[in-house]
Amino acid sequence: MADLKLNGVGKTYAGGVSAVADATFEIADAEFIVLVGPSGCGKSTILRMIAGLEEITEGDLQIGGRVVNAVEPGDRDIAMVFQNYALYPHMTVRGNMSYGLRNQGMPKAEIDTRIAEAARFLQLEPYLDRKPRALSGGQRQRVAMGRAIVREPSVFLFDEPLSNLDAKLRTQLRAELKDLHKRLGATFVYVTHDQIEAMSLADRIVIMSSGKIEQIGTPMDLYTNPASTFVAEFIGAPPMNVLQASGQAARELLSLAPDAPADLGFVGVRPEFLKVGDTGVKAHVTLVEPLGAETLVHLALGPDKMIMRGGQDHVFEAGSEITLTLAPSDLRFFDPSGRRISAA
Amino acid sequence: MQKRVVFRHRWLPYLLLAPQIAVTLIFFIWPAYQALETSFFLEDVFGFNRTFVWFENFTALFSDGSYLRSFWTTLIFGLSVTLLSMSTALALAVAANRVLRGKMSYRTFLIWPYAVAPALAGVLWFFMMNPSLGIVAYMLESTFGVDWNHYVNGRQALLMVIVAAAWKQISYNFLFFLAGLQSMPKSLIEAAAIDGASPARRFWTICFPLLSPTTFFLLVVNLVYAFFDTFAIIHATTSGGPADATAILVYKVYSTGFVGQDYGSSAAQSVILMALVIAMTVVQFRFVERKVQY
Repeated sequence: MADLKLNGVGKTYAGGVSAVADATFEIADAEFIVLVGPSGCGKSTILRMIAGLEEITEGDLQIGGRVVNAVEPGDRDIAMVFQNYALYPHMTVRGNMSYGLRNQGMPKAEIDTRIAEAARFLQLEPYLDRKPRALSGGQRQRVAMGRAIVREPSVFLFDEPLSNLDAKLRTQLRAELKDLHKRLGATFVYVTHDQIEAMSLADRIVIMSSGKIEQIGTPMDLYTNPASTFVAEFIGAPPMNVLQASGQAARELLSLAPDAPADLGFVGVRPEFLKVGDTGVKAHVTLVEPLGAETLVHLALGPDKMIMRGGQDHVFEAGSEITLTLAPSDLRFFDPSGRRISAA
Repeated sequence: MQKRVVFRHRWLPYLLLAPQIAVTLIFFIWPAYQALETSFFLEDVFGFNRTFVWFENFTALFSDGSYLRSFWTTLIFGLSVTLLSMSTALALAVAANRVLRGKMSYRTFLIWPYAVAPALAGVLWFFMMNPSLGIVAYMLESTFGVDWNHYVNGRQALLMVIVAAAWKQISYNFLFFLAGLQSMPKSLIEAAAIDGASPARRFWTICFPLLSPTTFFLLVVNLVYAFFDTFAIIHATTSGGPADATAILVYKVYSTGFVGQDYGSSAAQSVILMALVIAMTVVQFRFVERKVQY
């Protein structure tokens, strides 16, 4: 088992293009960390640098207290699950799982024990002698997981492992992954672009945008206290309503919050904190999306648009006008550059 | 909506196919038939009369020591050319696949030899290796003390045509191997690296098995090349000599028919070669195409 330390880690390609700059954070032993962000934000590059597939051009990386910048991927005590699983097509499931162990020169008896154990754990026993092409997507995913597990590494790396699966299977495997983490007690570093996956899996989330870390924190921390408008709009479905402070909607909402800071750029409010009240701000209902337990209501305040999460206690109708109210403490304030202004 | 084109006229499809059929009949089927027919006759050198002799031409061939030796020569030649050109091409492809800068120029230069006509390639080697004026022959003598004279030494002559023929085919093999390597998912190699395999082990346990469809295909193509398309190179360098040391089966067909004027025997040799090609093609279609690994 091991912890990870990234100290000013950066990646600049030969052409001078910078993919990741000054990434500094620590991952505790047995922690489940999720790197999340839009595509091209550098999250996969960080994972690949941890794996040793990508050279680290700035800073240093420690795994279990050892600087591993120049250590071969195979000697870093890590295992990785790829997005396309990267199963060896010419080997059976057993061959795939034993490949890493055979490379270490492990005795055959021990290899067999480990594979039997992992196969039972992942319910792969009936498929051990099949080739990957004869397996379904979910089964291939499990084999990729099994290949990582048998090596008993201290750090598991996952590169969007669920993104090639259908929605139902994804939800199921997500739960299995979380369970796996608990049972193995190893450090997990997981990359995804799906904020729901990040929220549901992570102990802590590292959220990135264009090569830089925007914020690090627990899922609830990021949700309630986003450090920037980027985080506010990335986390949550539907995302936080972020309004230009000078716009009509923001000015009307701010009239409900007397102690707002002075140099405002943006005002944010989560859809569930908007309530229907007797007095407050008037808004037009433009669209209603009933989802069962809740209803997403699209609102217009002059030129500005917002989404609120309505409960079952109120019937919304498109075209009608409603009165909005909110608790001032639910408003989030950001400066003109988009950084959070913490409440005084 | 009708998706298939239907010809209303009975003769139109035949008319449209006629050029291809004519080419096949005139240039492939007819000569092949002629060879088959001639192989059963004994003919005088001027072609005035001929006698039907059943399988005499064939039985004569298989009791002829020089023809049986030619079989061995062909086998050694074919296997050596295939092995040499394929292994060199694979090594070059692996190297070129790693090149980051100037990729295109490397690849273009490596493909060049393929554009050299076989007879010209033969002449090139003829000049380089010529015992009295060849630069390579001179260097072999001065640096390694090798007395190079392929006009006298049969082994040296065979070695020379093997190298020349293999050199000519490297480009072709290189292209296929490079394409094969490039179509391989990069993540497989990365997964193997994480699984702790050394670069050499990665190559032999992952890349090489995954290249097997390409390798099998090239194996057949190269054998066919070595057996049949190397005539020009041999003709331009050694003319089958010395003492038939480089006379492979195709060369024998030529020397028996056009030099020795024994048309019956030459035709019989062609028929044997035809059977060989057919056998190899069958192997390729039946065995190789099914051997695809993934």
